[in-house]
Amino acid sequence: MAKILMKGNEAIALAAIKGGIDAFYGYPITPQNEIPEYLSKHMLDLGRVFLQSESEVSAINMVYGAAGAGKRVMTSSSSPGIALKQEGISYIAAAELPCVIVSVMRGGPGLGSIQPSQGDYYQATRGGGNGDYQLIVYAPESIQETIDIMKDSFNIADYYRNPVLVLVDGLIGQMMESVDFDKPVKERELPEKDWATNGTINHPGRRNVANSLHLDPYGLEQHNIHLQKKYNLIKENETAFELVNMKDAEYVIVAYGTMARICRSAIEMLNEKGIKVGMIRPITLWPFPEAAFDEISEKAKGILCCELSMGQMIDDVLIANNGRHKVGFFGRSGGVLPDPEEIVDAIVNFKDKVVK
Amino acid sequence: MEIMKNITFLTGYYGSGKSEIAVNLAIQKKLDILVDLDIINPYFRSREMEKELDKYNIKSISSDMDQKMNLDMPYISSKIFMPFHDKSLKAIFDLGGNDQGAKLLRQFDDYHHHDIDLFLVINIYRYESSSPELIIKLINKIEGMGGFKVTGLINNSNLIRETTINEILEGEKVVKEVSEMTNLPVIYTTIWEDVNLADNLVFLGETLKLKLYFRKNWL
Repeated sequence: MAKILMKGNEAIALAAIKGGIDAFYGYPITPQNEIPEYLSKHMLDLGRVFLQSESEVSAINMVYGAAGAGKRVMTSSSSPGIALKQEGISYIAAAELPCVIVSVMRGGPGLGSIQPSQGDYYQATRGGGNGDYQLIVYAPESIQETIDIMKDSFNIADYYRNPVLVLVDGLIGQMMESVDFDKPVKERELPEKDWATNGTINHPGRRNVANSLHLDPYGLEQHNIHLQKKYNLIKENETAFELVNMKDAEYVIVAYGTMARICRSAIEMLNEKGIKVGMIRPITLWPFPEAAFDEISEKAKGILCCELSMGQMIDDVLIANNGRHKVGFFGRSGGVLPDPEEIVDAIVNFKDKVVK
Repeated sequence: MEIMKNITFLTGYYGSGKSEIAVNLAIQKKLDILVDLDIINPYFRSREMEKELDKYNIKSISSDMDQKMNLDMPYISSKIFMPFHDKSLKAIFDLGGNDQGAKLLRQFDDYHHHDIDLFLVINIYRYESSSPELIIKLINKIEGMGGFKVTGLINNSNLIRETTINEILEGEKVVKEVSEMTNLPVIYTTIWEDVNLADNLVFLGETLKLKLYFRKNWL
């Protein structure tokens, strides 16, 4: 397939098909509706399942069931819809079932707005569900990167038996870009799904059960220890980030997704002014790329965390920085997208942006 | 130079570039009104260009609701009928994509006798309008749903910033074939402002240089 022009949401849907999705369950919400719309048009022809459920809560529990049966399943929603799915997400993570969740963020809190935002960083990385669980969270900045991640996401979910969350904002969902669907994905040797609840024909006498209830405290603690070991493995193997212009950078911006795109333009403008600015762009938000902060020059004057939210990722930036450099913050929210000039100003007046 | 009729409807496949072309035509052809009939998209609708169009004394009509920029509700102002009742006005109507977007033409069923064009915007790099067969299927669906006949074609084949002369010419091949099969004239070939081309190139129809109003430079 040569290059074609696609809208972000359509591209997410087609990439899911290329990634081997067996079933989609979801409930409509702006600005992600083109994902279910595209899948509703194409899944049945491919002999796969598309189901519009009666609510977000049922959608995520259908994902739980189908993932338990060993199928490759996905759901998608936007901020308040993802909020409704949190209980199911915690259950799926606890039962160690693979699935892919796409969140196309809009302004919050509450019903908020339908304009793009990054206000769900905490929701994605800290979880709205209960207990000590983690999702593998990707935050692509372009439609091409979203496609590449989507195609790989079902493999990653299967490999670690863990939900993968692909987090974009409404702008990436709605904008158009020329893209290539043929970029190869990383090959992974996937384990047999011998845990799937799909009958006893392959293992007579043994019933598989997908479950998140462990009444024995010691048993549950062992389960938590096992999960933490898995999360550590994910941290070692899957942490992803991009470094931009880091050599001798006087200031380092940390930004992801759409905000990183805006910052790229700002960095060019700043370099023209003679101010050397680099960027750490987390591609995985969890695991957060802490090691990238070792690449910041000792002489750097500061780190500016830029978000389309009021200061959420900055917690991880402060932890990763560990007191080494001054940290400043720039954020817009509610669906407002800043112009690159605002980031330029924030760097020029860095001392006013430093957080205490 | 193409003379615009009183009413021009712009239709086409979802994401084919209708809104950019509508805004460019309104400004370049000095039209009086731009009507945004897109009730499908939440972002990138021509109503976002209200202030820009104001500078050229072009009136924008879309929804009358507060927060019309930030809503994806299917409300359309009754002012959209204005250009049908004042023949001194020239208006361009920017429809939502596909036959679903063309559905809104049904409200103009009583105005078939007016001076109207319905142009189909084609970008062959959109996956469901990549071949003459798919485009003709789309024309049939749009005409069936909207009740108006397509009267002309616009070649808007592009890959945004990666567009070269090759994409425009590949598009021209397909659009020419559609034109021959349907007897519909090619009215415009669009060239994006950033694409560097020799000035002496001649394309089908009038060459329309597009300024990108919707796409910020960091996008």
